[in-house]
Amino acid sequence: MSTLQLIGGGFATVLTPTGLFLMLIGVAVGIVFGALPGLSATMAIALFLPVTYAMASSDAMTLLMALFIGAISGGLISAILLHIPGTPSSVATCFDGHPLVKKGQAAKALGVGVVFSFLGTIFSTLLLMFIAPQIARAAINFGNFEFFSIAIFSLTMIATLSSGNMVKGIMAGVIGFMFSTVGTDAIEGTARFTFGQTTLKGGFDMLAVMVGLFAVGEIISAAETSRHSDEEVIQPSMKGVKGFGFSMKEFVGQLGNAFRSALIGMGIGILPGIGGGTSNMMAYTVAKNADKHAKELGPLGTGRIDGVVASETANNATIGGAMVPLLTLGIPGDTTTAMLLGALTLHGLTPGPLLFQNQANIVYGIFAAMLIASVIMLFMEFFGLRIFVKLLSIPKYILLPCVFVLCTIGAYALKNNMSQVIACLVFGALGFAFKKLEIPSTPFILGFILGPLAEVNYRRGMIRTKGSFVPFLTSPISAIFLAIAVIVLLVYIFKPLMKKKKA
Amino acid sequence: MSFKKCKDLILGIVMLLFSGFYLFYAQQIKTRPKLTPSYASAKIMPTLLGILLAVLSIICIIQGYRKMTSPDTQSDSSKKLDKGDVMAVVYTFAVIIGYILIMPTLGFILSTLLYLFLQMIILAPPEKRNYALFAIVTVVFTAFVFVAFRIGLQQLLPRGIIESLLGF
Repeated sequence: MSTLQLIGGGFATVLTPTGLFLMLIGVAVGIVFGALPGLSATMAIALFLPVTYAMASSDAMTLLMALFIGAISGGLISAILLHIPGTPSSVATCFDGHPLVKKGQAAKALGVGVVFSFLGTIFSTLLLMFIAPQIARAAINFGNFEFFSIAIFSLTMIATLSSGNMVKGIMAGVIGFMFSTVGTDAIEGTARFTFGQTTLKGGFDMLAVMVGLFAVGEIISAAETSRHSDEEVIQPSMKGVKGFGFSMKEFVGQLGNAFRSALIGMGIGILPGIGGGTSNMMAYTVAKNADKHAKELGPLGTGRIDGVVASETANNATIGGAMVPLLTLGIPGDTTTAMLLGALTLHGLTPGPLLFQNQANIVYGIFAAMLIASVIMLFMEFFGLRIFVKLLSIPKYILLPCVFVLCTIGAYALKNNMSQVIACLVFGALGFAFKKLEIPSTPFILGFILGPLAEVNYRRGMIRTKGSFVPFLTSPISAIFLAIAVIVLLVYIFKPLMKKKKA
Repeated sequence: MSFKKCKDLILGIVMLLFSGFYLFYAQQIKTRPKLTPSYASAKIMPTLLGILLAVLSIICIIQGYRKMTSPDTQSDSSKKLDKGDVMAVVYTFAVIIGYILIMPTLGFILSTLLYLFLQMIILAPPEKRNYALFAIVTVVFTAFVFVAFRIGLQQLLPRGIIESLLGF
């Protein structure tokens, strides 16, 4: 089948009355989750998973992608109006977004944010549609050596980059990996760390672990602060605003900045371990350094649309980037894509090169859903802004208990008994302890997910080579990934030492 | 000494103990030497992981010890938690555990009503406790969730008194 036919098929899968309805709901709920500080894209997907259990897999993915896109974009609303990023992806949006509000240009800031969020998503989705099938075609020849090395590379990147403290990052990854070894061994079939408990034989459920760590852990730690935080919501004035609140000339002037930011966002999305939380900051910094109008307009950070454009284009472009390793290799780069991996697995789909061959309709359906959901997002955020702003004033002490009830239902529905609910609570407590001890939870989750991939491929590879590790180092692709992992580690180990010498 | 200063030291010690525990049980794993050679057995990865965690814990202990003995360079700028906040966390844990314990016997509806109402009271600042509002939100949300999941999505939920009265 030609690519055009595949794309057409993708749109046909998604553009059903049910599909459209699900996307409308998904984008709306996503925006709310993105806008509310403390709720994230990961949590939105976690909460909606139980709703998708009974759905066809294409409908389920349509809904979840819409949630993802809505949530990443929704963060801009609170970043601009509250000066609090709704998600880590829109931290840099605050820098210029809020000064613009103070200048009385709230509508302009929001309009720019919404339009460039949209452009960022579209750009990265189109690039994804072009790149992903090529990578999948190459990856079809990957064997044990390559998958082991890619898993180790991803784990190293995540452990070092996602936290300030490398020791704690790697520690979190190792502990996650350890939790994945509980249950029946995939190769020998022997029980590991089950302590005679039958419930542990199947191992820990990926979704229970993630819902517990992120959603439940979040609620417990919110208990510490919820009695103090009081946020004033600024109601934007829409009087006399035409179109999106900015002129055509301003739009054209931002295109270069947007293109650069989109490339940064896309590139960072592809790399495992760093996601929207990094890309918006990096795009903002690059935009600030490349700025030519600092003299006449004042530097970035004083209320220039350039800052909002850089941050919002980059964070939404990260979505398309993050989907590349997830779909082509089955490797999630951050917690949100880890959730999506859980969702795909739940629906009996294994992301990886074979998905492109056997379930092309699902893959192209996901692409189509991303494109349509971003159009829906554009209109919804523009016309429904007042409603979303109203929702920002719902206090956390009402919202979080309701979120917890939904988590409980989701965990219960996994096995239709309380076992996963209890697991969820245990991992929630662990998440809270992690927060207190400043251990990042992202490497834990990815260690838990990528660990088995690394282990199985290592052992199968060793059986094939009769106990020699050399082929892992001589197979070119495997060697490249292992080399990068080692270099990243060395750089992180020696960087502080170099600094000390200079001082 | 504050918890903040010796946090890394505690973490290192706990993790070292955990890696010992993990390594001990890793050695108990039954392998099948005839089927798979020792370099690819079910034991190999857990053993490597246990050793790696032990090494990391020792680094963490050294770092933590240095931090603890070094003079206070950065003042503790973060807000001190007052007693109310600590109690809020303890109560939250308590109601969540209670919720999970009572759900199998009382059923989803009754336990959720109790949980939501209590949890909102715990989380809300004392001056903002609007019991009437909490009660309304609790009832409406529980009803909505039950209708959406039990009736709409045909999802089974723990049954109890109210569920039997309603005929589910």
